[in-house]
Amino acid sequence: MTSGRVEVRDLRLGYHGELVLALDELTVEPGEFVSVLGPSGCGKSTLLSALAGFVEPMAGTVHIDGEDVTHVPPHRRETGMVFQSYALFPHLTVRRNLEYGLRARKVPRAERDARVAEALALVGLEDFAGRYPRQLSGGQQQRVAIARSLVTRPRVLLLDEPLSNLDAKLRRYMRHELRELQQQVGTTMVFVTHDQSEALATSDRVVLLAGGRLEQVGTPEDLYRRPRTAFVADFVGAANVLDVRTGPGGEPRVLGRPYDVAAPAPARVALRPEVLRLRAVTGTDPEGSVVTVVSVGFGGERYDYRVRTADGRTLLVSPPADTAPHPVGTSVALHWEPGAVVPLADEDGAA
Amino acid sequence: MSAVAAAPRARRWPRVRPGVVPAVLPTVFVLVAFLLPLAGLLVLSLRPTDAFNFALPGFSLRQYREVLTTPYLYRSLLESLSLAVRVSVTCLVLAYPVAWYLARAAHGWRKTLVFTVTLSPLLASEVVRSFGWRIVMAGEGPVNRTLQALGLTDASLPLLRSPWTVFLAVVHVLLPFAVIALTASLGAIDDAVLRASADLGASAAQTFRRVVLPLSAPGLVAGAVIVFSLTMGIYVTPLLVGGANQPLAGLRVQSEAMVTFNQPRAAALSFVLLLVTLVVCAVVTAVGRLAERGTRG
Repeated sequence: MTSGRVEVRDLRLGYHGELVLALDELTVEPGEFVSVLGPSGCGKSTLLSALAGFVEPMAGTVHIDGEDVTHVPPHRRETGMVFQSYALFPHLTVRRNLEYGLRARKVPRAERDARVAEALALVGLEDFAGRYPRQLSGGQQQRVAIARSLVTRPRVLLLDEPLSNLDAKLRRYMRHELRELQQQVGTTMVFVTHDQSEALATSDRVVLLAGGRLEQVGTPEDLYRRPRTAFVADFVGAANVLDVRTGPGGEPRVLGRPYDVAAPAPARVALRPEVLRLRAVTGTDPEGSVVTVVSVGFGGERYDYRVRTADGRTLLVSPPADTAPHPVGTSVALHWEPGAVVPLADEDGAA
Repeated sequence: MSAVAAAPRARRWPRVRPGVVPAVLPTVFVLVAFLLPLAGLLVLSLRPTDAFNFALPGFSLRQYREVLTTPYLYRSLLESLSLAVRVSVTCLVLAYPVAWYLARAAHGWRKTLVFTVTLSPLLASEVVRSFGWRIVMAGEGPVNRTLQALGLTDASLPLLRSPWTVFLAVVHVLLPFAVIALTASLGAIDDAVLRASADLGASAAQTFRRVVLPLSAPGLVAGAVIVFSLTMGIYVTPLLVGGANQPLAGLRVQSEAMVTFNQPRAAALSFVLLLVTLVVCAVVTAVGRLAERGTRG
């Protein structure tokens, strides 16, 4: 059995001499589930294409299990790709689709049959072996695509936004299924998505790309709780990015409230909408923390407010919906627990 | 039923279905302009004839017997069949790489050039193109003079009388139809499917044999049916290039109808020609559908 360690060094990817992605270092450990997350145009699909061998890097190397595969063509790379459109062979039945990679490898018939049966069972499609792709639903087609790649026992499975063509409910379901499947088979997976909640829910680690470079790598908890930059804070979950001001005594303040930090205060901090609370104004509230309700929507467990500060900034506030909402136009005071403030790195012009 | 990839969406709107009314007029036109004369021809082919080959009232299968037993007539059918098979195969083989290029190359002047050149025969009339072949292949034409200059032949060759000249001329006339039919079906193949094939370990040759070829079956069938049917009935090109004595069914129909004035016989020959054409096209279509399904190996 292969282990599936992927190492990328000093990779420069682009088309027609135009740089799309610069990635100095990325290692995916054997059996790890890594999401590559980023807005469209960040280079995440290009990275996946380079791992599969469809894009020749302008510079840098790709190693899989210690072997330099930078210039190995796709059909000799032993990677498996699940395409956004699934790319099933429309003229072949489900069984034939699954057999395709095994026939190309000249796997003997008995073993081929056993492996196809095993892969069909893995994705719960034993009864659909004789169907053509067009006779399957989107979710079923996607399972066939995953099974078709896994049956060849790839060193690493690459998934290019595989859930984006499914409807919202199925997408949430498939998210869990994918995660469970990965834990069952133990294959290294690199999963490209633009959906941060998908990335957080499925992955061991998340690689966040923006504007053709690496923004932050870490566990989902890392990215959510300790975003390095304003961009990360805002892209992974929503965030209100606020400047740290200096109070009359020289102490740092956020929205007029004192900000207690041991280290030198950062220039900017993030406050997640979920950690903010709205209360009636008491008279002791500092000026900066008194805001006006612009709109409020019911979001099930929470209310989703938009509020405006005295200096005209709009903030998102999502407190628990356990009392009646504050009406639009009223003045309320913003509160938060001191530990909820997330310091952001000074550099980065992104926002 | 062609193998079109199902859109990977969980929910789909029902298709917009047109009413039949707009299709009525053209259908009626075809019915009147094609099927009615054909019915008249069928009746004519079944008439007995007098000593001057004029149709008499009554019913007789004599003309069909004649067509199937007179070498002058049935050999022309076999000759047309042979030409049509050779032309169809040649056109599809020549058209395939061109269609692949046109269907998948990026837009640019190269693609425009290939497109214009390969489809240019459609821009000139069949008469003009065939006349061009006469000039090129004439006794003192450029081909003969080149052959002589290269010392490959001493005397001028009778190229115009060669059946291979007619074959080349017919291929030239019909190649664009094969290109058009194949370009449409090769263009419909999703890039991701080709990538998936490589990703699953298939070499370029394996991808061609197991994915591209079966998925282009509708285009191959359409191209074969069009080129085959047009060759079976071809008349102007062989007449102008090779002369009226070519042993081809289209020319024999013309000579029976307009030279010997045996119209019932011309009608019978036409019908046998039509029948052979339809049978071959039906077989090609059926084989194409099978090929689209299971792939070998």
